Amino acid sequence: MKRVLVALALLLPGLVRAGTLQPLAASDVATLLKPPAHGERIIALWALDCAYCESNLEGLAALQRTHPRDIELVVVSTDSIDRRQAIGTRLRQMKMDGYPDRAYAEASPERLNFLLDPNWGGETPRVLVIRADGSRLGISGELTPKQLSKIR
Amino acid sequence: MRHLPIILLCLLSPALLAHEGMHMDMPQEPELGASAAFDSHGRLYVVDAVDGHVRLRQSGDDGRTLGAPVDVNAIAERIYDEGENRPKIAFGPHDEIYVSWSQPRAAPWTGFVRFARSPDHGRHFSPPITVQHDRAEITHRFDALAVDGHGRIVIAWIDKRDMIAAGKAGKPYLGAAVYYSWSDDGGASFVPERKLVDQSCECCRIVLARMPDGEVAAFFRSIYGDNIRDHAFAVLHTDGRPGHAERATYSDWHIAGCPHHGPGLAIGSDGVRHAVWYEAGNGPKIHYGQLDPGHPPRHPLVIATTGASHADVAVHDRTVWVVWNQVGARGYHLMLRRSDDNGAHFDAAREIASSAVAVGSPQLLQKQGHPFVAWNTADGFRLIGMAP
Repeated sequence: MKRVLVALALLLPGLVRAGTLQPLAASDVATLLKPPAHGERIIALWALDCAYCESNLEGLAALQRTHPRDIELVVVSTDSIDRRQAIGTRLRQMKMDGYPDRAYAEASPERLNFLLDPNWGGETPRVLVIRADGSRLGISGELTPKQLSKIR
Repeated sequence: MRHLPIILLCLLSPALLAHEGMHMDMPQEPELGASAAFDSHGRLYVVDAVDGHVRLRQSGDDGRTLGAPVDVNAIAERIYDEGENRPKIAFGPHDEIYVSWSQPRAAPWTGFVRFARSPDHGRHFSPPITVQHDRAEITHRFDALAVDGHGRIVIAWIDKRDMIAAGKAGKPYLGAAVYYSWSDDGGASFVPERKLVDQSCECCRIVLARMPDGEVAAFFRSIYGDNIRDHAFAVLHTDGRPGHAERATYSDWHIAGCPHHGPGLAIGSDGVRHAVWYEAGNGPKIHYGQLDPGHPPRHPLVIATTGASHADVAVHDRTVWVVWNQVGARGYHLMLRRSDDNGAHFDAAREIASSAVAVGSPQLLQKQGHPFVAWNTADGFRLIGMAP
C-alpha cells in the first residue's frame, strides 16, 4: 500500500499541472513576479488573436530546453480563461501544453496587464524575464535570435 | 486502510474537475465591443453582440435608459466582438441604419465582413450580406464603416489574400492588406473590393472619417521597412480613382507583433485632420497630431503615457476632445483632454468617469455639437456627457 501512496503522491502534481490551464488573477501576480531562487523565470504572454505568438513561444521553448535547470517558462494567455477550450486547443497545436499554462481570470484584463508590467500596453507577444537577482526585462514583439540570446 | 478509496477520491476530484473543465466553456457575459451613434434627431443607437446576434438598442434620453434590444441578424452566427473588434453602426441620409461586423470562420484569424440595414429605425433589418466578393476562408475582418457625402456606404477591412499569395510564391510579405468596397444602392449590394495598400498591420482597427468634401478617409496602422508600425492616411475614392496611402506618423515603433491598438481620426470642417495613436517604443504613449501625409504631423503632443490606451478624438468648430482609457492598479479611468484652439494647446488631463470592472474602448459622439463619450463596461453601457 505504501507503494500506492508514493505513486499517488508523485502522480497528483502531474495530474493537476500537465495539460491543465490554470487561472491567473490579480492576486496571483505577486507570486508570479517573485524572483526565482536561481536562473530566470520567463513569462511568455500570448493571445489567440496574435499570429506572431506561436513562433515566439517556439523560440522560448527551445531556449528553455537548452537550459532546463535554469529557465522556468510560464505561458500566459491574455485571453479570458472563459475561452479555455479554444486556448487549450491552440496550446496543444503549438505543443505548449507541457508547460505551466495560465490564462487571465480577471474582471479587468488591462488592470492585470498593468500589474504584470506597467510599461506594457497589451501588445503581444510580450515576454517578461524575472531574474534571480530581482532584475526584470520586458520585450514586446517576436524575439529575434539576438534578443533570445540576451535572455541567458 | 479501508478509508483509502475515500481519501483517493477527495484527492483526485480537483484534478478530475480541472480536466473536465477543459471541455466545458462556461456561458459568457457579452464582450465589450460596442458602437454607438446619434441619428439626425438626436436618438442614440447602440450595437453590441450577444449569443451570436448583433443587438440594437435605442435611447431617447441620452443613454440613461436603453430600449428593448432588436436582433440585427435573425439567424445566429459567430461575431468578433472583443478587443479591437466591435459591431459598427452608421446612418444613411434619411436615418437608414447600417450595421457591419466581422464574422469568425472556422480557422484562426479568418473572417468575413457582414452588413445589414434597416429602413425603419431598427424595427426590421435586411438579412445580412457578405460584403467582400472574395470568399476564401482567410482574414477579411476588422471592418470599418462610414457613409460618404453622397450617401454611399464605405467599408474597409484587413485582408490577407495577398499575404497568402506571396507565401505560396515564396515572397516575403509583412502583415496584411487593406481592402475596401462601397455600396451605391443603399446597402443592397457592394461593388467588388479594391486594394488600398499592401503590408499593413494585421490586428489594429481601421478608423474612417468623412472629409469636408464628403469623401471618406481612412487612417490605420501600416508597416514600414522592417516592422515599423506607423500609420497611413488615404482617401477611399469611390469614383474609380485609385487610393493612395501615405505615411502620416513617424513614431518609428518597431514590433514584430500585434499592437491591438488602432488609431483615432476626426476631420474638422476646415479640413484639419486631428489624429490620435498609440505606440510603445519606449513605454506606452498616446500621441495627438494633425496629419500632414508624407510629413510628420503638426502640433504633436504626447497626450498620456503609462497605463493609457485606446484613445478617440472629436472636433467641433475649434474645440477638440481627446479621451482614452487609463488603467492603474485599482481599475480604469476615462480621461479627457480638451483644446479650444483647434488642437494647438490642450488642457491638463482629467478624469470624467471610472470603472472597477472591464471597459471597452471609449468612443466620442456628438449630438448637434454637444459631446458625449460612449463607454461600454462590464456593468453596462454608459454615455457620459461633457461640456460643449
